[in-house]
Amino acid sequence: MTAAARTQRTEGPPTAAPSLTRVAQHYLGRFAAMASPCELLVDTDDAAEAAALLQIVAKEASRIEAAFSRYRTGNIVHRINNAGGQTIVMDAECAELIDYAVTCLEISGGKFDITSGVLRRLWTFDGGNHSADPAAVSALLERVGWHRVTWRRPELTMPAGMEIDLGGIGKEYAVDRAAALIAAATERAFLVNFGGDLFASGVCRDGNPWTVGVEDPGRTGEAATYKLEIERGGLATSGDARRFLMVEGKRLGHILNPITGWPVEGAPRSVTVLAHTCMEAGTLATLATLEGPRARAFLEEQGVRFWLA
Amino acid sequence: MQLTTPARRSALRARLSTAACVLLAAATPAVGHADDTTPTTQLELSSLLYGENQRTTIFEPAVRATRLFSNGQSVSAEIQVDAMTGASPSGAVATNQVQTTTSASGTTQSVQAGVLPTSYFQDVRGSLDADWSLPVGSLFTATSSVHVSKEKDYRSLGGSESFSLDLFQRLVTITAAASFNHDQVTPVGGTAIGLSDGTTMLNFRSNPKRVSSGMLGISRILTRRWMMGVSGTREIEKGYLTEPYKVVSVFSPINTPGEDAPPGTGSTTTLREKRPDLRTRISGSLSSVYHLSDDILYSSYRYYWDDWGVRSHTLDFKVRHDLPNHAFVQPHVRLYAQTAADFFRFELFQGDPLPAFASSDERLGPLRTATVGATYGFRIPNAPGDWAVRGEYIRQWGNGHPDYAPSVQRDINLFPGVNTGTLLVTYSIGF
Repeated sequence: MTAAARTQRTEGPPTAAPSLTRVAQHYLGRFAAMASPCELLVDTDDAAEAAALLQIVAKEASRIEAAFSRYRTGNIVHRINNAGGQTIVMDAECAELIDYAVTCLEISGGKFDITSGVLRRLWTFDGGNHSADPAAVSALLERVGWHRVTWRRPELTMPAGMEIDLGGIGKEYAVDRAAALIAAATERAFLVNFGGDLFASGVCRDGNPWTVGVEDPGRTGEAATYKLEIERGGLATSGDARRFLMVEGKRLGHILNPITGWPVEGAPRSVTVLAHTCMEAGTLATLATLEGPRARAFLEEQGVRFWLA
Repeated sequence: MQLTTPARRSALRARLSTAACVLLAAATPAVGHADDTTPTTQLELSSLLYGENQRTTIFEPAVRATRLFSNGQSVSAEIQVDAMTGASPSGAVATNQVQTTTSASGTTQSVQAGVLPTSYFQDVRGSLDADWSLPVGSLFTATSSVHVSKEKDYRSLGGSESFSLDLFQRLVTITAAASFNHDQVTPVGGTAIGLSDGTTMLNFRSNPKRVSSGMLGISRILTRRWMMGVSGTREIEKGYLTEPYKVVSVFSPINTPGEDAPPGTGSTTTLREKRPDLRTRISGSLSSVYHLSDDILYSSYRYYWDDWGVRSHTLDFKVRHDLPNHAFVQPHVRLYAQTAADFFRFELFQGDPLPAFASSDERLGPLRTATVGATYGFRIPNAPGDWAVRGEYIRQWGNGHPDYAPSVQRDINLFPGVNTGTLLVTYSIGF
């Protein structure tokens, strides 16, 4: 039997406390973190082992959420966003994340910008037709742009009124970190899935790799899922079919271009990428979306497997 | 839904992959991690073949085992055997006559005119090294090492202690180390009196040699692509520093009046070399690791000087280029130049007062070396472990035409140099 991990749906609502259930020849652990249902699948018959591994994953997810979520107070992101122009010294892990974000900024020509989050205040992506006030967008753009930030690792100085948001990389980072901890703790095949961003590793005891279903929002029924076997790699999706605006007949997705302050036009509704790590997959998916109509060409240049919808 | 399969790996993706790897590798261990991991063992088998053109051949197999513990502690041990055979330059100079030399084991060997005399030797050296590395807190690491090695006429016993401290969010690492070695040199057939013809022995015991050294280094991550390091070492050697079997030629001109000998004709005898019993060696080096968009460039420069008058410059460059399927290729170039020690002589002259010290050892001469090589690392599909094969070609040469060479030696290169090839195969596996 093929191990099936349905990435886009879970059986029943996830509970706050981690729960463990037997699914075929595996154990499935579930918990909620980062506003997503989170899962760990382990190819084992040993419930105690699965429970211990689930603890590791749940702890790491909540640690990363606590440390880097902009919705939490007292963490490093909160301190940066409330520094009022003062210099903040990063810890090593945050510095690494910022370095990674700077690399993304550079390779995207400025379009992947962790300071662009404030623009979202002007946009409500509810499928409606009310676009933001262009004057307000222009005004708010004064408070967007990594070039206004001074980053001399580990010191970061950002003008008052600007904000950073590591949400664009945080969940994928948590997946890869959790996967690394599991890989260090067990030889067994496993799959870490945080709200559809996932990392799979190993071949199950029945000789099959993990099978992941990639949903196609444009279809329904059996054809809606493309089955993908992953022996080792990360899969991530950018885009959300439910979060868009219709303005003058044009569909505007929820990804904003930090240079114009407006949603990217002509982007696919959903981009799913398979890469070595979940971080790489997630970043490529976001970068592709930011390319708008060039998304397909961009992904073809990268030599990755991808799915557009 | 459209499915597309990979074509090739773009520069953008390579940079992104690297950034993701750096981020995930650098991440601090998380809560609940330490006590859940099991110790891991790394085993490394290597074998070095070193061959100088018509001179020494060395076969050097080694086994290193490292055990990593979940708290960051590591213990490793290495056993190495060097089997050396061949001929090493005796120190005698090439002349226009046949020369006979005597080896450490008493055999004699004659060389033709114009050829550098060498002595045949054969030896096996065994060595054992052990290291213990202990992190104290998350920023400080102490490493203790012991070393012992033994060959027919040489025994070495040593230990070292090093400390490293990470500062400023691990952007800066300071390393300090000290080591001490106590060696015993016991020449076969006794220790000859320096600058004698070798028939009279100084003693038949072992001669002590003590080496103490200190090192201080600092490395700093400047940008996320660039790391630089500066380090300095000071080492003091005391005791018997002479090479027991090396000799210095003494040239006697034949100028019997009335005979038809060509001007400058002469004969040579040899004396055992003699070196001071104290040497202070100092070096400073600058190193850089730069991450290009795909490749990693390693470069370093080292300046060395000692109170024997040797000054040297070393430049070293390596570029690591990753290939698909965990393979990589790493070309390597090294350039080295040194000045001769104050007491280095290609030869002495009969009738001149004997200097206090003299050696013709080419390693103390005006030496240049150039090394080119490459390492290829790979994995065998469906088999565990990593393989690496390194090949190097080393060209050594020097100025073999000193001003003081008599006319019969003018056409002979007193420092003919040597070409060396090395092949190193390494296999490492973790379990």
